[in-house]
Amino acid sequence: MRIDVYIPLVLSLLLPAVAPQVGRRVSPAPAARVLAVAAVLTAAASTWALLLLSATLVDAAPPVAAEAAEHGRRLPEPVPETIACVALTILGMVTVRLIGVIRAHFATRRVLKRLCEGHPPDSELIVTTYPAPRAFAIPGTPGRILVTAAMFGALDPAERRVMLAHERAHLTHRHSALSTAVTVAAAANPLLAPVRTTVTFLLERWADEEAADVVGDRHITARALARAALVSQRARPDSALHFSDHAVTRRIAALQTAPPPTLWPIGAAVLALGALPALGAIDATGDLLSLLAQALPG
Amino acid sequence: MAGSGSDGRAERRSPGELEGEVLAALWATDEALTPAEVQAQIGGGLAYNTVHTILKRLYDKGLVLRDVDGRRGTYRPAKNAAELTAEAMHEALDRGPDPIAALQQFVTGLSSQEEVALRELLSGDGP
Repeated sequence: MRIDVYIPLVLSLLLPAVAPQVGRRVSPAPAARVLAVAAVLTAAASTWALLLLSATLVDAAPPVAAEAAEHGRRLPEPVPETIACVALTILGMVTVRLIGVIRAHFATRRVLKRLCEGHPPDSELIVTTYPAPRAFAIPGTPGRILVTAAMFGALDPAERRVMLAHERAHLTHRHSALSTAVTVAAAANPLLAPVRTTVTFLLERWADEEAADVVGDRHITARALARAALVSQRARPDSALHFSDHAVTRRIAALQTAPPPTLWPIGAAVLALGALPALGAIDATGDLLSLLAQALPG
Repeated sequence: MAGSGSDGRAERRSPGELEGEVLAALWATDEALTPAEVQAQIGGGLAYNTVHTILKRLYDKGLVLRDVDGRRGTYRPAKNAAELTAEAMHEALDRGPDPIAALQQFVTGLSSQEEVALRELLSGDGP
């Protein structure tokens, strides 16, 4: 308990450190999957560890302390009370963050539902006359693809096919589920935010690779991305700010080289990195339960 | 150019995908297109009859309109639902934090150096 309980918290620092490397070297589909799984496991374990640390405060609760004093028992104190109090505070913040994520999720769902109104339910593509070039996938069953007429107008036929294949890849591989998973993980454990960024990027790369496969041409795929990015930039009202995470440029660069290898050993290592915090949390739980059993006899 | 690398791939596309491509071709231009023009746009060895069938299906769904101009029929996209969605998008996007930003967008922002680099990439390619 004294050590195990901190394992998930320490390992939360390691996963974000290796995530960008994994994203650069491993094929996007397996990389996104293993990183998402590892992030969810780590977030669950670190949240659980916070719960365990907070739970040690139980021996400071007046009825418990009074009863122990009455029976002349010394209560075990596996972690200093200050740490337990800090853990409880962080746990409260995590709860607020998770509620925020859930609210935002449902707000987005409501907006998306409205965007689909008036379109026949059996047509995958939703075109809108919204003046700026935009394209995105709308998850659901069936999933749909929303594209503005401005985006279609900017692309040539082959590039349009790339864009549709890209968005379709998001839908067929349920990228929204992976994206939601890492968003929740990063909300529960802010240290994992870089993992979320990497996975978000990898999901785009994954869809790019699939689009390149469908149209059978990496070069046209790269060109479609470049063209779409340029027209979107021009239409952006705040384009003077030139905000960039360099994602598009990196995606184009990746398409100009050969597809990256799958490299399962690295994938397995990442999964292990996700499993360790979970094991640490389980072990700490066992320890705390036996401590509590001593402290609070039936 | 449009067909490069995609010859013979039409058979692999599902009806839904083909509908999307035809619709995309109609939306990409301001003019109404004949089935032959749509066929030329899509490429990929798609048969004229197939294009015709898809256009008919889109027409039945109310997604395209048909103009009869002499003996030739031309097609253009129906705008009602598209305008409704545009209104909903305006409302959603003007209301503060972008609820759609959380979704996977096809492309994100560029810095000015990136813009220059991408322009060069495209110009090296011809139109």
